This record gives sequence, structure tokens and C-alpha cells, in this order.
Amino acid sequence: MKYSYIAPRKKSALTQEMQLMLSFFSITILMLFFTYTFLLYKNYFFTNDKEFISIQKSKIESELSKIKADITLINQQKVTSEKIFTQNMVLKDSITNLFDLVPDRITLSEAKLLKNGLILYGVTPNKDIYNFMLEAPLHSIFHRTYSSFYPAKNGWLRFVSTNYIDEDKDRDVRDE
Amino acid sequence: MLTRFFESLYNKVFVNIIVNNSSSEVYIEVCSKKGVLKHYQSSFETTTINNEMLEFITSYTKESPYYYITLLDTSKEQGVIPTCDKHHLSFYHDISTSEHKCAHKNWSYYTSKIDLYDIEKRYADIGMDMVFSPFIVLANFFKDKIDSHFAMYILITESALCVIIFEESQLLYGKYINMNYKQDNEESFLSDEIEEMDISLEDESIDLDDIDADDDIEDIDELEALDDLDDFADIEDLDSIKDIDEFSKNRDVEEEFFERDEVFSESTNDNFNEDYDRFTNIKNSLGNFYSDEKYESKFIENVYIADAVGVTNDLKRYLEEEMFLNVYVRHIDLNIELLELSKMEVKV
Repeated sequence: MKYSYIAPRKKSALTQEMQLMLSFFSITILMLFFTYTFLLYKNYFFTNDKEFISIQKSKIESELSKIKADITLINQQKVTSEKIFTQNMVLKDSITNLFDLVPDRITLSEAKLLKNGLILYGVTPNKDIYNFMLEAPLHSIFHRTYSSFYPAKNGWLRFVSTNYIDEDKDRDVRDE
Repeated sequence: MLTRFFESLYNKVFVNIIVNNSSSEVYIEVCSKKGVLKHYQSSFETTTINNEMLEFITSYTKESPYYYITLLDTSKEQGVIPTCDKHHLSFYHDISTSEHKCAHKNWSYYTSKIDLYDIEKRYADIGMDMVFSPFIVLANFFKDKIDSHFAMYILITESALCVIIFEESQLLYGKYINMNYKQDNEESFLSDEIEEMDISLEDESIDLDDIDADDDIEDIDELEALDDLDDFADIEDLDSIKDIDEFSKNRDVEEEFFERDEVFSESTNDNFNEDYDRFTNIKNSLGNFYSDEKYESKFIENVYIADAVGVTNDLKRYLEEEMFLNVYVRHIDLNIELLELSKMEVKV
């Protein structure tokens, strides 16, 4: 203040219009910043989700392959069980048939089922009954049949009948 | 630093308001660092501020936040004091109700605090940045003369007369004369004056021989003391060519050279009345200076007039022939002077 009675008012470039414009720009920049931050957070969130999902996916895939292997195994087990069941059925039938073969007058004391044969232990009143009533049907079933006797205390004969099925012959017969 | 940067981005707008008797003159200058870009001027039929004026000013001030509103003080309660010493100020004027400023470390100018508050209130819509005293405008205008001359300096505006007497940059006397009141009483005053002076207005030319200035002097109490002065007591002796030649030794030849380019207005009835009014006021002021014991009375030979309104040659002739003064008239553009002060104030 040199010569004027009053001092000039302080001038500022921040006029009302400028303040309005600055506020507008500030709000815009803030909104952009918040949007950017939000997108950044969302992106981070999605990346995490993606990683989690991909881990889950690989985990599920590995579980799936494991389940598939289990399914295969179970299928195999099923096939095996069915096979065993069938075999058991066959065996049961065979045993039933075997016991049907044994006449009433012959008493079996033991029977051993082999893979390709059958060993029977029992008591017969005499050899003829055995030969006619038991050995004959056994012959029709097995390829080789061997019988051996030894006397029991009561005068009857104990017998051991060993019967085999030759697989080669059996195969040939099937082939034919 | 940041303020300077922002300041350099904008132009500066200087708005001058000069209040006349019944109108306000607004001068606007838009400046950049390189210089003046454009300027506008308009006059409004108000002595305060009306919507038209407000619109005119704001249309330019809204272009830049760096705008400065300047007003030339027209307070009736203003004046000057020939000292800057706070202890001596009250000897000349009661400064408790005035705002005062020291100029050039050896004289002060003051104005009414109430009038300053009134200005700030009146122009509250646009705000006010600077209020300059007409005394400082006058002193700044004649700074080349004030430092080395002993003379009376007069600023003539439409609404006032501003009279200061300097002796080699030392202020001796100063007075602000408001001529606004003349408007109200103009008709009655003029009719009285015309009857007394017996002037033939039909001719539209004034013969100084018809004017009896001595009658006017006798009517003024302040000039009664002039009778005591030897120089004025034998005033008729000065009419001789020999005495006039003695005066001519003190004439400012340089100023006379520049004055040749000055074009004085054509004398009309209105101009004559106003100029005679001014002449009377100047005469009274000079009489006051000689008579008041507060001031160091010295005989004034030279008068420098800063003419802002376009005075007629009559005023110069009155002063020269009636009061035996060497009168030099310079045209002053108040807007330019106010702008110069405004720029000094805001350091442009």
C-alpha cells in the first residue's frame, strides 16, 4: 500500500467458477479413482477366485480320475464277482450233481474239489456197487478216474476215488 | 510462487471510476505482461453504481480474477498536512476521524474514515481495491516541477478543485474544494453574479474590463488579510510594464514551450460560469494561504494547472490579469494517472 487509502483485496486465481470447475474435476477424478480401485479389487478378487476354482477344478479332475479308476476297479470287481458267483453257482450245481450221483448205499466221508479233479473218500458195501453205481457216472464226467479200496472194520470197503479232467482234451472237445 | 505462476496466466484488468457531478466515468484497461491489450470507456448517469454500470464492469472483471477497482476520492473532508510527524498532524487537522497517508516522507494527505466506509459500502457489489486522493494524483502529475519549483498546483476536475502549494517538494498549503454544491444553486447563483458583473451574455464573449473582481474580493472575508500585504496593497503599481517584466524573469520557459500545443476550449456561457467559479475558489484559497498563520506565507508567482475538464482560456487570463500569476495549463487524463498509480500500487 503506497498511496491508496485502502489496500487492494487479495486476488486469487481460485474464483468461484474455478472452484466449481476444480470441484467438478476433483469429484470426477475421485470417482475414477474409486472405480479404478473397485475394479482393481474386483480383479484381484476374480484372480483369486480363478486360482481357487482352477485348484478346485484340478482337484475335482484328480478326484474324477480316481473315481474313474475306482469305477473301473469296481467294474472289474463286479465282473470278477459275477464270474465267481457264476463259478460258485456252477460249483454248487456240480456239487449238487455230485451228491446226486452218489447212490444211497454208498456213504461219502470226504470230498475234495480240485481245480481239474475230484477226490472222494467214502464207504461202500462192496466194489460192485461202487463200480456200477458210482464209478460209471464218474467216468462219464472225468477223463481219468482212479479208485483204490481198503477194508473197513465192519467188513465194508473204504474207497478213495481220484478223478481228473484233462484240460487239453476238454479244449479239443470244445473246439470240435 | 504458485500465486506468481497463476498471476502470469491471467491478464490484469484495471477499472477506474471517476465520480463527477451527476455521472460516473468508468475506464477499463486490460493489461498483459507485454503491455496494454485493450481499453474501454463509458459514462453512466449515476454518482453511485447502477445495474448498467455494474454489468459493464463485471463483463470485463469476470475475464480475470486479477482485477483492480480504483476510485478517485471525492470526499469533502479530505485535505493535506505539511508534515508526516504523527505528533504534529493534529495541529493541522483532527486525524482521529480521518485516514491519512504519508507521501514522500514530508507531507500527508487525509480523508474521512466515514466517507471511506461509505465508498466500500456503496461499491460493495463490485468491491473496491484502491482509493486515491486527488492530491497524490496532482503531486504525481507535476512531480517534475514539484521537486524544483515554488508554485501553486491545481487539479481541475468536473466536481472539484484541488489546490496545493509546494516549495521545492516541501508542502506549504493544500485545499480540496468541492464544486458539486454549485449544481444545486447554479441558477440562482449565476443570476446574482450576472446582475452584479453586468456582463452581456448575448455576445458569448467576455471582456475582462467589464468584470469588477475587486468587488468580489471585498466580499470575501478571508481575503481581507490581503490588504495587509505590501505586494497586494500596491496592486495597481504592478500594472506598469516594468513590473510585469520583473515577473517574467520567474516564468517557466520550458512549460510555456509545451503549453503552445495546448488547445483551450471555446468559451461558452456554461464554461465561463464554471471557470469564474474556479477562479473565485482559487483566489479564496490563495487568500487563505496568505492569511492563515498555520501556513508559511510566501508570495506565489507561478501556477501549474492540471486540467482534466478542458478549461477555457478565460480562467488562465483571470489568474494572469487579476492575480498577476504566471499560469501554465497542462491537460491531464485522470484515467491514465489513476492507472499509473494503480499499477504502482500492485507492482505491475
